[in-house]
Amino acid sequence: MSTITDKPQVKDGVDQDTVDAVQSVGDKYKYGFETDIEMDFAPKGVNEDIVRLISAKNEEPEWMTDWRLDAFRRWQAMVEPEWAMVHYPEIDFQDLYYYARPKSMAVKPKSLDDVDPKLLATYEKLGIPLKEQMILAGVEGAEGAPVDGRRVAVDAVFDSVSVGTTFRDELAKAGVIFCSISEAIREYPDLVKKYLGSVVPQSDNFYATLNSAVFSDGSFVYIPPNTKCPMELSTYFRINAENTGQFERTLIIADKGSYVSYLEGCTAPKRDTNQLHAAVVELVILEDAEIKYSTVQNWFPGDENGMGGIYNFVTKRADCRGDRAKVMWTQVETGSAVTWKYPSCILRGDDSSGEFYSIAIANNYQQADTGTKMVHLGKNTKSRIVSKGISAGRAQNTYRGLVSMHPKAKNSRNYTQCDSLLIGDKCGAHTVPYIEVRNNSSRVEHEATTSKVDDDQLFYCRQRGIDEEAALALIVNGFAKEVLQALPMEFAMEAQALVAISLEGSVG
Amino acid sequence: MLNINNLHVELEDEDKAILKGLSLTVPAGEVHAIMGPNGSGKSTMSYVLSGKGGYEVTGGTATLDGVNLLDMEPDERAAAGLFLAFQYPVEIPGVGNMTFLRTAVNCQRKARGEEELSAADFLKIIREKAKSLKIDAEMLKRPVNVGFSGGEKKRNEILQMAMLEPKMCILDETDSGLDVDAMKLVSDGVNALRDGKRSFLVITHYQRLLDHIKPDVVHIMADGRIVKSGGPDLALEVEHNGYADILAEVAA
Amino acid sequence: MKLAQAKTDAAEARVNRSDLPTGGKWANEARLAALTRLHGAGLPGRRDEYWRFTRPDDLNRADAPAADLLKTGESPVFGDLDRLKLVFVDGVLDRDQSDAMAMQHVEIETLADAAAADIHWARDIYGVLETAGQAPVERPLAALNTALAENGLVIRVTGKAPRPINLQYLRRDQCADAVVHHVIKVESGAELTLLENGPGAARLSKVAEVDIADGGIFHHVRTQGRDHQRRAHTHIFARLGKESEFKSFTLTVNGALTRNEYVITLHGDDARAHVAGACTGDGATGAFHQDDTVFIAHDAVNCESRQVYKKVLRNGATGVFQGKILVQPGAQKTDGYQISQGLLLDDDSQFLAKPELEIYADDVACSHGSTVGAIDEGAMFYLMSRGVPKSRAQELLVLAFLAEALEEIDSETIRDDIRDRLAAWVERHSG
Repeated sequence: MSTITDKPQVKDGVDQDTVDAVQSVGDKYKYGFETDIEMDFAPKGVNEDIVRLISAKNEEPEWMTDWRLDAFRRWQAMVEPEWAMVHYPEIDFQDLYYYARPKSMAVKPKSLDDVDPKLLATYEKLGIPLKEQMILAGVEGAEGAPVDGRRVAVDAVFDSVSVGTTFRDELAKAGVIFCSISEAIREYPDLVKKYLGSVVPQSDNFYATLNSAVFSDGSFVYIPPNTKCPMELSTYFRINAENTGQFERTLIIADKGSYVSYLEGCTAPKRDTNQLHAAVVELVILEDAEIKYSTVQNWFPGDENGMGGIYNFVTKRADCRGDRAKVMWTQVETGSAVTWKYPSCILRGDDSSGEFYSIAIANNYQQADTGTKMVHLGKNTKSRIVSKGISAGRAQNTYRGLVSMHPKAKNSRNYTQCDSLLIGDKCGAHTVPYIEVRNNSSRVEHEATTSKVDDDQLFYCRQRGIDEEAALALIVNGFAKEVLQALPMEFAMEAQALVAISLEGSVG
Repeated sequence: MLNINNLHVELEDEDKAILKGLSLTVPAGEVHAIMGPNGSGKSTMSYVLSGKGGYEVTGGTATLDGVNLLDMEPDERAAAGLFLAFQYPVEIPGVGNMTFLRTAVNCQRKARGEEELSAADFLKIIREKAKSLKIDAEMLKRPVNVGFSGGEKKRNEILQMAMLEPKMCILDETDSGLDVDAMKLVSDGVNALRDGKRSFLVITHYQRLLDHIKPDVVHIMADGRIVKSGGPDLALEVEHNGYADILAEVAA
Repeated sequence: MKLAQAKTDAAEARVNRSDLPTGGKWANEARLAALTRLHGAGLPGRRDEYWRFTRPDDLNRADAPAADLLKTGESPVFGDLDRLKLVFVDGVLDRDQSDAMAMQHVEIETLADAAAADIHWARDIYGVLETAGQAPVERPLAALNTALAENGLVIRVTGKAPRPINLQYLRRDQCADAVVHHVIKVESGAELTLLENGPGAARLSKVAEVDIADGGIFHHVRTQGRDHQRRAHTHIFARLGKESEFKSFTLTVNGALTRNEYVITLHGDDARAHVAGACTGDGATGAFHQDDTVFIAHDAVNCESRQVYKKVLRNGATGVFQGKILVQPGAQKTDGYQISQGLLLDDDSQFLAKPELEIYADDVACSHGSTVGAIDEGAMFYLMSRGVPKSRAQELLVLAFLAEALEEIDSETIRDDIRDRLAAWVERHSG
């Protein structure tokens, strides 16, 4: 199918894969399987002892334990935010497991060869290769050669622990540190101390504060000055155990003049109970450095009747600390029962820039409240927001965003395009932008539209012989094109297929 | 090939009859033209045959090679070999022209139980066909009809027709909005597809298109049915005298 | 908990400063109900999302802050129009300065007279549209108005009114705290144009409840102006029947604080609601903070709504726009449009906006746009290269920027009148 002859055709070929995916994927959520594996759980609930226990399991130094306890004490005084357009039954935070580790991970495997084959098999089944000769999924299963020979280093996080990280030696040669955050706390305390919580403070918001207290693992990346990371880095998050919250913490530091592209994927088994995922991602970008952060979020969205699914409450923020620092967030949000997520950019350095590209699809009973904040503090800063929301079934999909031009952010620019597509008359699409401009040399432009899938477009496709679901997938992918193009190629393909799968059952 | 018998059609929303006993037969390999004043139901006929929503068939039949068209979904009709060249081709932002066509070609092949075209084969064929219609490679990469001029859109319709190789082609005012050169190009494209088996139904207001695409039979449609049929001379008569005489004659 | 208590306390304090209206019959019930609403909500707090961009403190204060009177020789706007003029001074109707309250197809009474009647049609509207407008967001200052208002007009339109009604709000007292509440009913197929102008009071609270029956037409043009230190908070609650039309335009110049809220519900199919505003604020003559907060709910099929807001700000002026289009389930074929633009003439001024869409029907075409920036340097240069001095060029571009909002005024005569006033203001505040 994807025998691709030259570059420009690749983009055309990508759309084709969407249609193939519709036809080839029988099950709606193909990542819904469960791995039968023996687990160690910490007792249910959260209190200071649990916080200490998580810290002890990770063999953390005292300063880290104290940091967590401080966060926990703050969290106890906080209340859950209510402003988002999402509704869900009250979460009993004492009825969750905060730490779940496969028994086989009790002793840290020395290398990937020592990892429990069941775990390796799980990732293989998910299309995430933990063997270094393989490349990331997305093109897997497609005939012909991969798009290019790009390799991707993977950190695989299974419930509360990192299972393994690939390509570490090769990355180390370039001076790049890529490891689990628990390891970084032990091995690189100075870096962690300096940057952890410096972008998302301990008490930033209810979920971030909870995360600060109980995060168990996640990824850590440090790119040294003037270094282009030799390959793409990725973390693959898997929630497996029942009644378990996943609280991962990611910290990426791009030192002066460096560059890294980072990918993040997420899945979970099908269950009829809801599960909590509250992550924090902090990006620190120094002078002339650049981070591209791409997410394909495909947590289990719940079934057609709204049973089960992940509550996805995530705080992601990038701090462009140095002049000319750049960050680009790209997200494809197709999963989760409830999404609450606003990857943001603090444009502190002069001439720094932030971009946010988002596709959020909500079908059945899903609820998504997602968007971004662009906080312009430095001079000549630029930001761009492209958000494409798709609502189907009985889903509610909200774009929420802030563009703020501070008095000192002279000569800055923002452009926002925010489009919503409605499929069916039982769903909702909402747009809640905040625009705050406090100097007159800056310019802000915001545009938003809401409409349904055009009947004439559907008929035109069908007159040419394309069936209804494929036609819809084609049109929706066209609607979201600008965002898909912002993704790395491997992810773009996976994302296009996901768009099609996520919309299954929304027509007719 | 195409057989329409006493077809009655109303608008779904308004309870208004548009086609009132339309009967028409287009044998294999023939080119038939339909002319008629505005509002006579020509475009409605093309939409009803291809399965567009918003119309209700209240009586009559329409078959393609003996198969009932009216029960089928639009994409099934397309796979059965019916092609409509739209009067106003639809723009689909973000969807590459090439992707669109490849999806359509392979969906149809699949529906007919044929093997899908490989990317390489597809590319080869489309480049060839595009060339003869003076459609450059750049236009193939642009989103479907988005930002196309009127002439480009119509040429794109003919390119799709050439790629999909239908049995029965309906051209709905394909000449509207075309200058003389573009009309020649489009007509040449259509004529190249005439192979003695494929049938055409050409809806037009003007004789000039029929100078290029020579019809076997010309029908005059008025108030939802065919009121007169004849040879190519009938089109000339309309061109010179308008519809008034014919309609008066029919009414008498 | 503490916050809620503070808000309730503020409401108590504010109510206790005023004498509750007496002499009303059916109206007393409505006023008591409004008091209950007010106590439930408390006055707006600075943490309230709906008051994110505007501090309600001066509107909450028990006593109205003093505001100097502005003395100008300029004749009031609408002066040359053939209209029925009714004059309020510090919120109280002044019959001596007013025309007789009579016109063909129009019945006009004072609120006090209507309230004293045993039964009155206004009972179905007074406080009723306001109550409906308390969701999804509480508007305690409107409830306060319903509870305290003694002054206002009750107008019923039964056919096409031959002349516009012009309400003039004059000021005499430095500290007057005026509470005015109008009730307007436009009967089926009837038509009225309402014009309002003048600063009103040191602090003006004004509510209008407008009920438009099927096929009715209500056009509204107002200028809020002049006195630099005055404060105003207005609400218009409108309910639209089938094929009816509501159009409202507001020009705001000067004033320390102005907040204009609209709550418009399109109840009948094929109805139209257009609201527009032009605002020019100059912080050099005192504080300037102007806030347009618009909520339009589509609750019927095939309705159209437009919101067009333009603000020109200089010398530390603040312009706020909060606009929302809500499309209820089933409100198919909705056409909703919203544009808000800020033109900042210097670095001290600010434009704050929250343009929202909340949509629960799929066959809709809704869009909004918002832009903020400085004057277009290219256009400026072009004008100057043709010999237009800089200050004049800026005036021209400012007026061009505001033009789109002015286009929303239906009557050409009124539009021209407003445009002339605006041009004069821009010239005065030029350079």
